[in-house]
This record gives sequence, C-alpha cells and structure tokens, in this order.
Amino acid sequence: MRGFGYGAAASVRQALTQGGDGTSYLAGGTTLVDLMKLEVMTPAHVVDINSLPLRGIQCTPAGLRIGALERMADVAVHHEVASRWSMVATALRLSASPQLRNMASIGGNLLQRTRCDYFRDVRMPCNKRKPGSGCPAVNGANRTHAVLGTSASCVATHASDLAVALVALDASIRLQDRHGQRVVRLADFYRLPGDTPAVENQLRPGELITEVIVPACDWPQAYVKVRDRTSYEFALASAAVAVDVHRGVVRDARIAVGGVGTRPWRLPATEEALRGKPATEESYLEAAKLAVVGAKPLGDNAFKLPLVQRTIARALAGAR
Amino acid sequence: MTVSLSRVESRLKVTGGAVFAADNVATAYGYLVTSTIALGTVTAMDATAALAAPGVLAVYTPFNPLKLFGYGDNSTDETAPVLQDNGVRYNGQVIGMVVADTFEHARDAASLIAPTYDVKPGNVDFAAGVATATPTSSPVAEVLAPGVTSIDAALAASDVTVSAVYTTPHQHHNPMEPHAAVAVWTDDRLTLYTATQGVMNVVSHMARALGVDQSKVHVVNPYVGGAFGGKIGNWAHVPLAAAAARALGRPVKVALTREQTFAVSGHRPPSHQTVTLGAAKDGTLVAIKHEGVSGKSQSGPSMENVANQSLTTYASPNLHVTRAFVPLDVSAMTPMRAPGETHGAFALESAMDELAFKLGMDPLALRQKNYAVKVPNSGNPWSSKHLDECYTAGASAFGWDKRNPVPGSVRDGDWLVGLGTATATYPASRSKSTIKVRLQADGTAVVSGTGADLGTGQFTVFAILGAQALGIPAGSIVPELGDSSLPVATPAGGSTSTSSNGPAVLAAADAAKAALIAQAATNPASPFNGKTPTYANGMVSADGVSMSFGSLLTAMDLPAVEGTSSLPSGTTKGYGYLSFGAHFCEVRVNRWTGEPRVSRWLTVIDAGTIVNEKTARSQVLGAVVMGIGGALLEDSRVEPDTGRYAGANMAAYLVPVNADIPHVDVQFLNYPDTVFSPLGARGLGELGIVGVAGAVANAVHNATGKRVRDLPITLDKLL
Amino acid sequence: MAGSVSRRGFLGGAAAASVAGTVAWAPGRAWADPVPPARIRLSVNGKPYELDADPGVTLLDALRERIGLTGTKKGCDRGQCGACTVHVDGRRVVSCLTLAITCVGKNVTTIEGIADGDALHPVQQAFVDCDGFQCGFCTSGQIMSAVEVVSDRSVHTDDDIREAMSGNICRCGAYSNIVDAVKQARGEK
Ligand SMILES: Cc1cc2nc3c(=O)[nH]c(=O)nc-3n(C[C@H](O)[C@H](O)[C@H](O)COP(=O)(O)OP(=O)(O)OC[C@H]3O[C@@H](n4cnc5c(N)ncnc54)[C@H](O)[C@@H]3O)c2cc1C
Ligand code: SF4
Ligand code: FES
Ligand code: FES
Repeated sequence: MRGFGYGAAASVRQALTQGGDGTSYLAGGTTLVDLMKLEVMTPAHVVDINSLPLRGIQCTPAGLRIGALERMADVAVHHEVASRWSMVATALRLSASPQLRNMASIGGNLLQRTRCDYFRDVRMPCNKRKPGSGCPAVNGANRTHAVLGTSASCVATHASDLAVALVALDASIRLQDRHGQRVVRLADFYRLPGDTPAVENQLRPGELITEVIVPACDWPQAYVKVRDRTSYEFALASAAVAVDVHRGVVRDARIAVGGVGTRPWRLPATEEALRGKPATEESYLEAAKLAVVGAKPLGDNAFKLPLVQRTIARALAGAR
Repeated sequence: MTVSLSRVESRLKVTGGAVFAADNVATAYGYLVTSTIALGTVTAMDATAALAAPGVLAVYTPFNPLKLFGYGDNSTDETAPVLQDNGVRYNGQVIGMVVADTFEHARDAASLIAPTYDVKPGNVDFAAGVATATPTSSPVAEVLAPGVTSIDAALAASDVTVSAVYTTPHQHHNPMEPHAAVAVWTDDRLTLYTATQGVMNVVSHMARALGVDQSKVHVVNPYVGGAFGGKIGNWAHVPLAAAAARALGRPVKVALTREQTFAVSGHRPPSHQTVTLGAAKDGTLVAIKHEGVSGKSQSGPSMENVANQSLTTYASPNLHVTRAFVPLDVSAMTPMRAPGETHGAFALESAMDELAFKLGMDPLALRQKNYAVKVPNSGNPWSSKHLDECYTAGASAFGWDKRNPVPGSVRDGDWLVGLGTATATYPASRSKSTIKVRLQADGTAVVSGTGADLGTGQFTVFAILGAQALGIPAGSIVPELGDSSLPVATPAGGSTSTSSNGPAVLAAADAAKAALIAQAATNPASPFNGKTPTYANGMVSADGVSMSFGSLLTAMDLPAVEGTSSLPSGTTKGYGYLSFGAHFCEVRVNRWTGEPRVSRWLTVIDAGTIVNEKTARSQVLGAVVMGIGGALLEDSRVEPDTGRYAGANMAAYLVPVNADIPHVDVQFLNYPDTVFSPLGARGLGELGIVGVAGAVANAVHNATGKRVRDLPITLDKLL
Repeated sequence: MAGSVSRRGFLGGAAAASVAGTVAWAPGRAWADPVPPARIRLSVNGKPYELDADPGVTLLDALRERIGLTGTKKGCDRGQCGACTVHVDGRRVVSCLTLAITCVGKNVTTIEGIADGDALHPVQQAFVDCDGFQCGFCTSGQIMSAVEVVSDRSVHTDDDIREAMSGNICRCGAYSNIVDAVKQARGEK
C-alpha cells in the first residue's frame, strides 16, 4: 500500500471540496482497501464519506430511491424492495458474502473494479491498470472473462450483480460535484473498454454518486446467477429479467445480463423478439439466441455463449 | 465401546486462545519477494529504494543473501536452499526478503524492488509432456495369471473392455492458516514457532540450514491451522525468518500471503491416467491396466504415483500399473491428502462405473462381484477387512436400491438427480513413536510426544487413550505435543499419527504404572513398602488398603513418576494393511445451466478401532468436503508463457463453502484390527478423500448421461 | 486531536466529523512521502486502546500486531475467506478490509470478547458440542458470523444457515457440524 492522507468528511459539500484527482472516496472499503493493499489503486488521499447523509431507502408508487451509502445487506432485506424490486434484492443477496454486504455500499458496488486476476496483480501487464502495457487475458486464463463488448485492449467483465438488475430496470444514478448535480442512466454511465479500458465510466474526478433512482416495475422478475460455487463467488453468467405476460403471451420484457459483458449488458433485441411471443421455454430460448449476436469467445470461455442464453431462459421461466 | 469426546483443546479454539505460529510476538516482520518468471536467472535486484523506505531494517537477495546450508535431502523440501544462488527455477520462487519494523513497512518496501531477469523458456505444460513422459525408477508393476503372456493379451481375451483417459489438474492445499514462522534467538539458541506437521523435521533441517547443532533449535507449534501435507516441508520463509532474526538480533515474523502460499508451499501435481478394464460378461474382472503419468517439479524430489491402488483395490487375475512423470519448471510439489490415491481413485472408480454401465450392471454389484478377499497383487491375507459390510450397510442406509440405472431419468424440478458410489482405500502403516506418561502428585497425568494435531484430534486421542490405560477420567490427562523438547513421537503425515502414537501411549502408560508400583513397593515413605501393590483405575492397592496415585506420590514426597515407551515402525509381514470405505452420494445438475451440486452424502468407514468417534467423524467429513472441492471446483492453471499459477487466491481457486456441502453422514464399523496393532486403529485422515471425485463423477453420469473424465467437473462440461 | 493535522490540512487523526476539510492540498504526492502516524483510539470488547499507526493499517493488523488480540485470524487479507470476521457496532465485517482508523468511536467486538467471564457464549458452547471445527483457525470468524446468524430473523431453513455461513471458509470442512452448531445455538436442536 502506498502512503496516503486520510480525512473524514462531515457533509457532501466538505467531501466535494476534498475530492478530486488523486483522491478516492472511502465507503465500505471492500474494493478500495483491497485494491490499495494490492497497489492497484494508489490514491494520495482518501476521504471517508461514511458520515455523509446519503442514506435512505424510499419506495413510492413512482419508484425507488436508495441513498448511495446504504449497505447492500440492508437493501437486500428491505421488505418493499424485496417485494417490488425482487431482482434487486436477489442480486444483492447473491453478491459477495454476508460480512461484505454488511460493509459495502450501493454506490461503491456500482464503482467496484473488475475481478480480472491480471488487473489485480501489479506484477503483470494490464491495459486497464497501466495503459499501453498489454492485456495478458486475451490469450491467457480467461474462463471468467467477457464475450460481449470486448476489445483487443481489454476483455474484463464488469463484476457487479446489482448493476445488472439496475440496468434491466432502467435505473439512473444521481451524481454531484462542486459544480452541481446530474442524473445519468446507469446503462449510459458505463463505457466500453475500446482503446481506453482505464476509463470505465462517466464519473468525473471528485464527483460523488449520491443516490440510485429505480423506476417502478410491477412485472414478475427474477435474477439468476450462475457460478461454479454455490455462494461467495462472482457470476459466470447472470440474468436480470422482468417480464410482462398476459394470457400466456409476452407483452414486454426487460433483460440484462452479467458475467459476460465488459459492462452490465442490456439486451434490447432479445426483449423485442419476445414481444407477442408465447410465454414458453421454446420462445425464451429462441429469443435468447439474440443475446450472443456479435459475441466474441476467448480461449477458455466459449461456454459462456450457450450458458448466458440458458441463464436468460431460466430466469424468464422462473420470473415471479 | 464407542467414545465420543469433545476436543480437549476446544475451549482455547472457541475463545481465540489457541496460539498459532503467526500469533507469536516479534519486533520485526519479513515480507517475501518472489519471482515472476518460470526459468532463468535474476540479473539484478536494486534494493536502494526499499532500504530507504520507512522502517526497513534489511533487504536480502541472492546478491546479499543470508548464508544457508542446503537441507533439501530426499524429503519434501526444495532441493536448493533459498537465496543461495540467483537461479530461478519456477514462477513464485522466493528471491528476496525485506525486513522492517512493521508488517506494513515490510510489505510496502518489498513492492519497490523490481528484479531483472535473464529469461529462459520454461517447460510448464503438463499435457504437452505426457506423450514423452519419463518412466520412474520402478516403471511397471505387473501380475499376470499363469499362461497369460501380457496385459494386452488378457484384455484382448476379455468379453467386455472399457478404456478411457482421465485427467486431473494442479491442486493446492490452501489450509486456512497461511504458513508462518516466528524466530527468536536467545544467545545461540533458536526458538522457532512455525506451522508444521512435525517439529523434529524442522529441528533437523533448520539446524542444518543454519549451521548449528540440533540441540540449539527448539521448535514449538502446538496448534496448526490445517496442513493436509502442505506443512511437512520447511519452505523458504522458515530458514529466512531464523537467519534474519540471527543477523538482526531481534525476533522476526514471516507469514506467507495467501497468494504466495500457492508457489511457495507445495501442491498436488496434475495427472493423466489411462485405465483399461477387461471383464467377463458376468462382470468378473479379467484385467486392470492403469497407466499413470504425473507432473513432477524440477525443484524438489517429491512426486505422486497415481496408478498404484489399482494393484490392491479389486480382485483381478491380471494387473498392470505403470508410473511415469513429466518434469516441469513449476514450484515444488508436496504430498496433499492421499497423494496418488486421490487422483488415482478418480480414474479407477470412474472406470468401474463405465464398465458397470457397459455391462448393464449395478455399479455397486460390480464392486461386490470383484471383492478382493486377498491382496490382489500378492495373494496375502488382509489384516482385517470389512469393506463388504461398508457396501451393504451403506447401500441400505442410503437407499441405493432406489437408484434408477437409466441416466438422465430422474428429475426434481429444474434439477436432474443422480446417485454415485465409489470405494475408498488407503494404506495403513506404523512409524516409530516414543511417548512419555508422567503420573503427577496432583492426580493428573501428562501424556507427551512430539506429534502434531492439525485438527486431526490427536490431543484428544492422547487424552482418551491415556485415560483408558490409566483408568482415570480423560479430564485428568494433560496431553502435550507439538514441541521438540518432548519425546519423539510420530509426526502428522500418512495417516499414521493415531496408528503409531496410540499404541505407544498405551505402552507408556504401562511403563508409568510399573514405575509407580516399583516406587510404591520400595519407597520407605510408601504405605505399600514391602508389599506387592497393584494398580487399577488410578488407585494403588494392597492388603485392603487403597490410595490414589496422587496421594501416594504426595505421601512419598515425589512430584511424579514417569514411564516412557518406544514402539518401532512396521507391522507383521505377510499381511495387507489398508483402511477401507464406501461412498454414496446424490448429485443434482441444473437442467438449464449445468451447475452440479452435491445434495446427499454417506460414507461408511472400516478403519479398525475408532478411538474417538467425534473427531474421527470430523476427519472423514473434512476429507469428503475436500474431495468434493477436487471433484467440482479446484483447479490451478499454469500459464504457458510465465509458469504462473493463474488465479492464485481464494476468490479464484475455489474451495467449497458451506452452501456447497449437504449434511454428510459418516458411519464407522469399528472392528479392531489386532493384527495391525494392539490398539487396532488403522489410519483415517486421508482415507475419506479417496474415491470422492469418482463417486461424484459417477453420480453426474447417472444424473445426466454425461461422463466427465477431466477434473474439476464444472458446469461448462455439462452444458 | 489538535495538533495532528498534517501539513496538507489533512487529519492523520481520527475523530471523523471534526476534520476541517476546506484546506486544499496538492494531489499526486509521492508515495514514500511520510504521512505521520495517527493516534488511533479504539474500543475493543469494551476496553479502550490507543495506538499510533498509519491510516492504511487494517483493523485486522491493528488487533493482531498492535493490540495483541490474536484470536482474529488472517486467512487471505483480501476479504475472500472470512477468517478475520469481527463485529463493528454489532455487525459482522471482515477486519482485513476495514481500516482501523474508520473504527474510531465505534465498538469493535472480537472472539475474545463474547464469553461472559468463564461462561462460554452459547454459540461457542455449541461449536464445542457439535465439533464445529478441526484445526480451529477459521473458528473465530465462524463464531463471530454465527453469533449474527443466530439472531437473524431472515434465516429459517438449514439451507438458509448454509448460505448465511458461506462467507466463512473452513478448509478442514467442518461445515455440517457448523450448521448443527448454529441450530443448537438457535435452540433448534
Ligand atoms: C471477496 C469479494 C467477493 C465479492 N463478490 C461480489 C459479488 O458476488 N457481486 C458483486 O456485485 N460484488 C461483489 N464484490 C464486490 C463488492 O460488492 C464491492 O467491493 C462493494 O460493493 C464496493 O462497495 P464499497 O462501499 O465497499 O466501496 P468502496 O471500496 O468504499 O469504494 C469502491 C470505489 O467506489 C468509490 N466510491 C464509493 N462510494 C462512492 C460514492 N458514493 N461516490 C463516488 N465514489 C464512490 C470509491 O472511491 C472506490 O473507488 C465482492 C467483493 C469481494 C472482496
Ligand atoms: S482483461 Fe482488461 S483488466 Fe484484464 S488484463 Fe486485460 S486489460 Fe487488464
Ligand atoms: S483474512 Fe479477511 S477475509 Fe480472509
Ligand atoms: S477448522 Fe480448520 S479451517 Fe475451519
């Protein structure tokens, strides 16, 4: 770990004055402290934002607002979230471990870094960590890597489960910096790696996520997470779905997948293909084929192509 | 009589009071620097920045080493001592150590050292080397029936044959306690607190490495945070901690990071096995041919023979086993729970299932049909064998008769359900052991020896056997182990602790009783002076007078009497000695996405006398869990370019978590094996893992119709 | 905490809300630039402790190497095993990813702090009775997790217990017995 200055901010305004280039905000620390110990992240200053009033879980007919500093564990067991946005609660419940969920914040979760093992080992090249150094994952151990949205520079997955559910639900995040506030659709917030995998999202230096805004969705939902181990593991593939079925016919659907893309991956073509189709396994599997159009398998992860399709179908069939 | 006693050290372990190696205090911390290439030399290591960093006391490199003498004799240690040359033999090899006043300072300074290398192409691809594998010094073991000219002739003459290749990956022990050593010198005497399966092995090897007399080295390690074979070796951090503490004149603590343990502290090598079985139509085996190839590190002598148990598991008139290895520029290997048997049984037990399927026979019936009444490769009798009862008792308890033989035919919601079985066998042996029993004036008895309790229950075995032999409550026994100043008992390894130390505890108790009686009869202060007293249940008696041994010792003004007993290694010749078991499991595979999940488990064990049912059960349970990890999860990939273990951490190298494991039922037959030893207890710690992967693979086949011959059985292989 | 403000106006010290955050400082400080160790005051198991440490020191290393409470174990140092589980303000967390300095003003409870004098906590007793461990290295973390699970009203079935205990890896494989121990402590056995 590199030496750093530590301070705790008492208000949003104070945090914003302290934030900026070379500074990292500290929420639960489950990404930041981990990566600082590995020297993957080397902020000169750390601003503890846990005293900020970015709290609260508000459910209204229009939707859900979650303060950025709410803890994953608390949101997961929130009664109304669990009943009205079950895919969010499930995605959270299937994330990390109970201890980590007690610590980790909603805002931090959306900003967690990839779990690519080369990224996490500073003795290895990695374009995301050290631009221009190369990407050993492209021809290396890449069983857990992405098949969608990859580039020659980077093939790392976005690791958050929560973000997948939020992207399916068309959620937005409220951002604030010294100059003001803005609301950004989460789906637009994340960038593709392209030639600049180090730039992962639209967050400006010193900008804070203050809250997450989720529209109401009263369709049956599911979040299915597929992994080797039953628990305490990131997704090999996951699917967040909400599906509106009327008299055995799909009227509409929202689908996003995780574990397979360089960012949480919304599937408009699959959604479109489902509209007006009978709500059967066959049409789910058929529409899921569109999920992998343009997918680029790597040496070890071609299985993710069939896997993600079946994950989608399984989620659609299991939506409640 | 079944004994089921809670661990005597329980209280310490549930209150945080058990002192593990890294819990000891030091005033300086070492942090290791490791290589990032597979093969070559370190050309430079600039330590200037590290030396200038806050709190740094010293930086040791091949260019500024601490002198160490070679100690890697034909053991599990690495051949070359650390830092004594600038050669790099594998990725992750220790090539330096920073010592600083705090752990953080040492860690942070270590990151400032950027070694440069002269890189040579390393040979790290096991699969690529299989075709040209090197035969071992005893490459073939063969038994042919009279008149049979070759194993292939026997196979050709069989009604039915199956033949397949089974492969298994590098696996890592990953005990929860990363290896650590704390070295404290007092004048010219070293006290070393180090995580080890055998303190005497540390004494002899470190005395040699440091160039001091063995009498100057005291090794203390009563509590070991799991080991599974990985703490037999004296890995690089141990001599470095000791030598740095000597050089700096202050206690030094060196703990491996979890990541470092992967290359620094051994592993189970990969295997490639071809098993060919020939049988008559009724399922009687005619021939077993098992060709085993394992990886072998160039930097240490240890290796696995994966095919051996095909010589002793099932009756067959023709047996043929080959052994070969692929030399690899990877880190040293070391035994890992049932080395050889674990991977070997995966292949053999899968092949038996394949044969049963081809014959249209129940896989358990096939095993019963080929039950080995005598040792298959010698014709010797078994010391004791009740495997047949393991099969029948297990089958009825598990409901094996409800198994649907048609693969893929049982479904429960989204899950395909299958049942599998496999046999477990593991050799039983006895090593030399010396134990001391000390009867004390306060009424307690100390049972001591240098053995180790890795979580195996050895402390409690000492207490139970001491109590039984002396006829006093187990609570009156003070067991001592894990300290090199104690009598030299058997270390933990090869499942020999209880089988060797157990009988020695009984013998030492007899010796202590004899010493007590001799004192009682001759000591002028003894009320039994001149009589012929006897000992029973903690009391010494003669002529109607009875006294507890504590009161008697107090009366004689003696603090204690002692008895020590040494039992030699070895067992009576002319018998086969194995522990046995049968596994039964239910596995569910998701019909959409292929995740295999174990949903039921039963293991029935025949390992002779069970000294403590409670801890023995845990041993088997833990072995099954590790076996399930090997079957479904564990996989260390070596990267072809760098020789680096990909994903060397606990998030990428997956071991089972609680949710992966169903209730595991363990039953013991508990037939004393008195040919083996007076105590009748054979080994137990490793047996339970043998066959687990086979049972799982067989259940997966029954559930899905898919035969996965390459471990681990991950969902991508089942899609 | 007066006097512990560093030259960049940044507190090396602890009391969270009292930091004056208005002073600008130049980013990009060289890593080796020494940050003065902070005086960190912690309350662990109801007892006060003071230590001087860099802000980067984790709660785990503070407990083990500075305070001398070694019952909490380091199994991975990366949040990947659960061996270091402690409670901060009554919630279980991994202490290896918790900076000690963020625990100022909070109550830290470790394995050394849950027994009532000589009387074991019911969860500790249940682990003894059910042999919920072998080597004992993961045990402190398992017990600290189990203490939370025992009173967790969202946990009902054996599978719930397994899931709720899945943040604590036990390589000795005591899982079945751990589930039994949790059930015993919940009064279900
Ligand atoms: C072993 C392990 C397993 C895990 N498994 C999963 C999993 O299965 N699924 C999953 O989704 N996640 C998983 N995670 C990731 C975990 O969920 C994230 O680490 C966590 O959500 C991050 O939140 P935090 O509050 O701890 O963030 P921090 O570590 O405090 O911060 C993360 C980043 O976000 C920034 N930041 C935090 N809050 C804000 C804010 N409000 N505004 C602006 N910037 C901010 C920080 O500066 C930092 O760069 C796992 C983590 C670990 C260690
Ligand atoms: S995949 Fe991305 S994060 Fe991983 S090594 Fe390549 S560039 Fe780095
Ligand atoms: S040491 Fe903290 S989770 Fe492993
Ligand atoms: S008891 Fe050894 S790791 Fe759990």
